[in-house]
Amino acid sequence: MGYEWDFSVVFGNFDLLLLGLVNTLKVTGLALFFGIPLGLVLALMRLYGNKALRWPAGFIIEFLRSTPPIAQLFWFFFALPILLGVEIDPFSASVLTFSLQSSAFFAEVFRGGIQSIDNGQWEAAKAIGMTRNATLQRIILPQAVKRMIPAFLERAIELMKTTTLVSTISYSDLLYQANTIAQSSYRTLEVYTTAAAMYFVVILACSLLVGRLEHRLGRSGEITRG
Amino acid sequence: MDYQWDFSAVVTYWPVLLVGLKNTIILAAVCLVLGLFFGLFVGAARYSSNRLVNWPATAFVEVFRNTPVLVQIMWFYFAFPIISPIEVNAFTAATLGLTLNTVAFSSEIYRAGIQSISKGQWEAAKALGMTYTEQMRRIILPQAIRRMVPAFTNRAVELVKMTSLASVIAYGELMHQAKTISIIAFNPIEMYTSVAIIFFVLIAPLSLLVQRLEMKKRKSS
Repeated sequence: MGYEWDFSVVFGNFDLLLLGLVNTLKVTGLALFFGIPLGLVLALMRLYGNKALRWPAGFIIEFLRSTPPIAQLFWFFFALPILLGVEIDPFSASVLTFSLQSSAFFAEVFRGGIQSIDNGQWEAAKAIGMTRNATLQRIILPQAVKRMIPAFLERAIELMKTTTLVSTISYSDLLYQANTIAQSSYRTLEVYTTAAAMYFVVILACSLLVGRLEHRLGRSGEITRG
Repeated sequence: MDYQWDFSAVVTYWPVLLVGLKNTIILAAVCLVLGLFFGLFVGAARYSSNRLVNWPATAFVEVFRNTPVLVQIMWFYFAFPIISPIEVNAFTAATLGLTLNTVAFSSEIYRAGIQSISKGQWEAAKALGMTYTEQMRRIILPQAIRRMVPAFTNRAVELVKMTSLASVIAYGELMHQAKTISIIAFNPIEMYTSVAIIFFVLIAPLSLLVQRLEMKKRKSS
C-alpha cells in the first residue's frame, strides 16, 4: 500500500467535474419533466382505456421496465438515427431515453397511487353527479398524488443514478468528465473516488430529504410505495 | 422510414450472442448468490445494538446505495487495481461492483423483513431457552424470508439489468457482444433491437413473477 495519493489533478479540474454535475442534473431534470406527464398518460391508458389503449400501454410499460436502460440508450443513439435518417446528438438521445424509461416507472407509481384510493371516493363523486374525468381530476388524483410523493422522489433518485449511462455515448455528465480527466492524468484512483464522493453527497442529500418527507407524510396519513 | 431490415447477421453471429447470454447469466447468478449471502450478515450487523458493528455496516450500505452502480463498476475497474494486491480483470471488477451493490440493497430487505416479525416471536423463542442464533435461525428467519421473497425477486430483476453495465468495461456479456457485432456487421438497428428483445424475454417472466408474488402477499395480509 505504498501508494501516494495526489489530489492536485482533482483540484485543478474541479470546475470540469462541477460542469459534469450540472449536466447530470440537467438530463435528470428534463427526463423528470417529460417522464412524469408521460407516465400519467400511460397509467390512465392502462387503467381506464379500452383494449386498443390498454394493451399497448401495458406492453410499453413492461418492455421499458424489463430491458436494461443501456440497451434502450444504445438503441436510441445508434439505431434510431439510421431508421429515421436524422442525426440525434448524445444529449437528445439521453433525454429521450430517460424520459421514456422513467415514464414507465412513473406510470406504475401513478397506477399504485390511484388504485390505493378507496372506492367510496368514486361512489361519492358519482353520487353528486361528477363525470369520470371530473372525479379523477378533482377527487382522485389530488389525494393519490400526495401519497405518491415519496415514491416519485425515490424514482427521481434512481433516475439520477441511471443517467451515469449517458457517459457511454459521450455526453459530458459527471462520470464522463471523470473518465476524461482520469485518462489524461493517470490519476484514476483520486479522480474516480472524487466523482463517487460527489455523487454520494448529492444523492445522500436527496435520500435524506425523501426519508424526512416520508416520515412526515407517514404521520399525516398512509403513503404508497412504487 | 424506408429502411430495409436485415436480420441475417443476427443469425450468422448467433453463437457470439449466445456466449454473451451465458456470460450475462453467469455474472447475474454469481452476484445474486454472493450478494444475498453477505447481505444477510450486513443486515444482521445493522440490526445489532453494538455501535462498533452497527456503524460500519450502516456506512457501507449508505455508500453503496447512494452512488450510481456504474460509478462503482468503473471505480473497481480503473481505480481499485492501483491499491489492490490482486489483479482485477473486467469480470472481477463487475462482480465486485454488482455484488457489493446487491449486498447493500439486500441487507435492507433482510433488515425490514426481520423487523416486520412481531416481538412476541422473539420472546416466545427466548422463553423456550433458545440462544440468539437459534431464535434467528429457527424462528425469525424462516418467517421473515417468506415475506422477503417478492423484494428479492425484484432485486434479481434489477441485477440482470445491471449486468449490462459490465459492457462498459468490456466484459463479454450480451450487450458487449452486440456492440462488437454491430461494429463488424454495420447493423446497429437489428443488433440492438435483438438484444433488447433477448433481455425482455429473459427479464419479463421474472417481473411477472414479482407482480404475482406481490399480489399474493397483499391478499394474504
